[in-house]
Amino acid sequence: MTPGLTPIDPKKTVAPLVAPIERERPARRVAITGVGAVCGLGWGVDALWQGLRSGRSGIGPFARFDHSRHRTHLAAEAPDTDSPDLSRLCPGWRRTSIADRFALFAALEAVEQAGLDPQGTTPPEDVGVYFGSSTGGMYESELFFADFLRDPRRARLSALVAQQVNAPGDAVARQLGATGPVATFSSACASGALALGAALEAVRSGEVEVAIAGGSDSLCQLTYAGFNALRSVDEVPCRPFRAGRAGMSFGEGAAVLVLEPLERALARGAEPLAVLAGAGSSCDAHHMTAPDPTGAGAAAAVEAALADAGLAAGTVDFVNVHGTGTPLNDAAEWQALRRVFGERAGEMPLVATKALIGHLLGCSGAIEAVATVLCLHRGELHPVRRDGEADPELPVSLVLDAPLFLPGARAAVSTSLAFGGSNAALVFSRWAGSAA
Amino acid sequence: MSAPILVTGVGTLGAWGSGSERLATALAAGVPFTSEVDRSAGYHLSDGARRACLVPAGQFSNWLSPGESRRMSPPSKLAVAASRMALDCAGLTGSEEERTAVVIATAFGPSTNTEVLLKQILFEGPESASPSLFMESVANAPAAQIAIALKARGSSLTLCQREAGPLLALGTGAAEIAAGRARRVLAGSVDEMTPLLHALLDRFGALARGGSEGEERARPFGRQRNGFLAGEGATVLVLESAESVAGRGGKAVASILAWGSAFDPTAPPSGWGQGYQGLARGLRRMLERAGLRPADVDLVVSGASGAREGDRLEAEVLHAAWEGASLPPVAAPKAVTGEYGGGLLASAVLAAAGSHLGPALGFDEADPELGIVLCDGSLPSPDVVLVTSLAAGGAGAWVVLGRGVG
Amino acid sequence: MSEVATIQDRIKRLIVESLNLEGMKPEAIEDDTPLFGEGLGLDSVDALELVVALEKEFGIKIKSQEIGREVFSSVSTLSEFIAGRTD
Repeated sequence: MTPGLTPIDPKKTVAPLVAPIERERPARRVAITGVGAVCGLGWGVDALWQGLRSGRSGIGPFARFDHSRHRTHLAAEAPDTDSPDLSRLCPGWRRTSIADRFALFAALEAVEQAGLDPQGTTPPEDVGVYFGSSTGGMYESELFFADFLRDPRRARLSALVAQQVNAPGDAVARQLGATGPVATFSSACASGALALGAALEAVRSGEVEVAIAGGSDSLCQLTYAGFNALRSVDEVPCRPFRAGRAGMSFGEGAAVLVLEPLERALARGAEPLAVLAGAGSSCDAHHMTAPDPTGAGAAAAVEAALADAGLAAGTVDFVNVHGTGTPLNDAAEWQALRRVFGERAGEMPLVATKALIGHLLGCSGAIEAVATVLCLHRGELHPVRRDGEADPELPVSLVLDAPLFLPGARAAVSTSLAFGGSNAALVFSRWAGSAA
Repeated sequence: MSAPILVTGVGTLGAWGSGSERLATALAAGVPFTSEVDRSAGYHLSDGARRACLVPAGQFSNWLSPGESRRMSPPSKLAVAASRMALDCAGLTGSEEERTAVVIATAFGPSTNTEVLLKQILFEGPESASPSLFMESVANAPAAQIAIALKARGSSLTLCQREAGPLLALGTGAAEIAAGRARRVLAGSVDEMTPLLHALLDRFGALARGGSEGEERARPFGRQRNGFLAGEGATVLVLESAESVAGRGGKAVASILAWGSAFDPTAPPSGWGQGYQGLARGLRRMLERAGLRPADVDLVVSGASGAREGDRLEAEVLHAAWEGASLPPVAAPKAVTGEYGGGLLASAVLAAAGSHLGPALGFDEADPELGIVLCDGSLPSPDVVLVTSLAAGGAGAWVVLGRGVG
Repeated sequence: MSEVATIQDRIKRLIVESLNLEGMKPEAIEDDTPLFGEGLGLDSVDALELVVALEKEFGIKIKSQEIGREVFSSVSTLSEFIAGRTD
């Protein structure tokens, strides 16, 4: 049921659907000074980066739950083998869900890299937590309901204590002793990127001095069966933008970024990894599951993010695509790229992180932000495997087989295009020292 | 925060029925509309809570066509109906504005759909999972359906922060206008109260049980308080800039003067902590940023729900923020609206517009340890209304409302 | 022939029940009424909902690649497909 693609003349300038409103330039630039991550490639940013740059896929068989009766059988599951001893790091961790533990691990890693003492000198009211999650502790809730719905007397209520969508963000704030704002965004696959956008605004406006921003989601049966019911899951590892692609692959994990005013970071001697320059969001207002095939909504989010960053589309040197691998989503995203980048769209290097770590749902925007920051910081775009043929309908320049070295890359865009037509885009610019 | 953000429309559905007039009547009388929860599935304790503030049947027909609501989850229906009602109240029916952002809070998301899906997956097998139930099980389904129904193409944000969510959504929506990212915002909250959710909240000991007169009543700040009344519904507010309201010759029912939030890291994951000082600092900071002092507040519309620990923390935060000075009158409308579903938002706007919020039935005696006296409604209409809500888990959010214009 | 007619009636009932088409009677759906677009106005999610119902009703498995416009264009085409799978 692939509808015909609506032809767009790439030379024609298409006005963004939601025209960015002129406003005063923000006074404060916002630096990313620490990142943390866990995903199917392992625990820690180093495991993530080593996996990404070698094009290793974390998608494979998994054991979190019995999937013998599900329609597909793959996921990028966070490995048990090198999981850290959280009992040492986080008192009270036994009452947490897997998603909470992913979040706690990533937050502690990011804060350590940023060189912020968790109990340190930043007043706790100046620290805010902005998180995205799609299902929070749904995996644990499923275990509870399997018992409760059979026999309410047998189920242990304690298993449900911390299983809401806001639990991972709350757990992070609790662990760090933050007393500033805490907000959890749950806009499906755009959640993580929307949380980062809110964090950016909070740092810029001076509402907080440090924002801990990210997302977390764990594999669960509800989502696994649900996307399979929508026939949006590939039987083989997902193949974003390639011919024959037949859907997404599931992933899980968490990612956290530490944001602070650039001047503050430099004054305390921290090394910025990149600058979070802008954020934008929009809604297709089209359909609950299908993207607007014209890509207008997604393009509006990218245009708004570029306007927010005060950057022209011409300064963007690569895009970390949403690239789920479903036929319709990738086609709509291609149309959005054509709208924003015009003739350059076909040459724009595209990084398709989901091909290696799967779709982390409410965390995808956050972990792809980490991937984008790492690529920008190291001047090296990670590749994905060359699975199948190129799709003649989508003449894109995916980074395939080997890393693409772009040490001079100036800015990068990361897109998140969710269920319900909720679109979000982030713009990062390279930190090249005080000259930049 | 320079020019205030204006609230130009209110759409609300709850146990009181449809519309803010009916809510105003219920608030003035101080009487919650509770009904018996369906306990036939066997989820409930035999001696547990039995009643909740449930939306009566037949509230949607004016606002939703059968065709468009065919696949909607209960929260999506509530949210879309409340949004259309809000636009109607603002005099904006039929006036589409693409740069409309939608910001909706939900504590639990579409619970009916999630429960049915889990039963399908766990007991019939994963291949029985319904795609349309799944599509409407995500927390952002109500926000997405509002956007589709109203062709709102600005940001679509869904916030999940338990009891603090509705005020966070209102503040986030106001920020969208203040930053120039949207011309119009639909900000609000929605939740449904299913028998399963009701039974689980009761098993956690969160819900009001029969008091001395045998009735299940929320008794915010009361000596006999023993839990909250579970509620459901949706409230959506239309937010616009003063410039845009003036430009179209519109009226505002209230204005938003300030918003802010904070966190208490001493809170357990599903309860309230001891960190009132940090929360009070957050509250004062929010007031200061808007050039306000606690003494400027004429009325507090409190999110206190009758929860033993939640109301205790709320009282401590208010006293700490006021640094021991005597508090302005306090109203606690969740005694009438129930907890969840956004009744607090609609009640707060009504209070800012001069509605009377008296103590609810069942409030016999103030808890002497809390030192909060509920207002009896005799005060003149307030200029500055502080709205508060502290969530289980640690989050707290506040909004300051002022008078409307026009 | 009678078997095909029975399958068609069952499919019409499933369409009305599983897609929550309030107020529509199964017999009001013509065998050749287009299900998508102009006809009943169904969409891809409805098609997938119908797939789950058909799988349950007829005890078959339908692959994603089989869920195409041709098979799902009307009750007639669907019943032929089902009849072919339940032989």
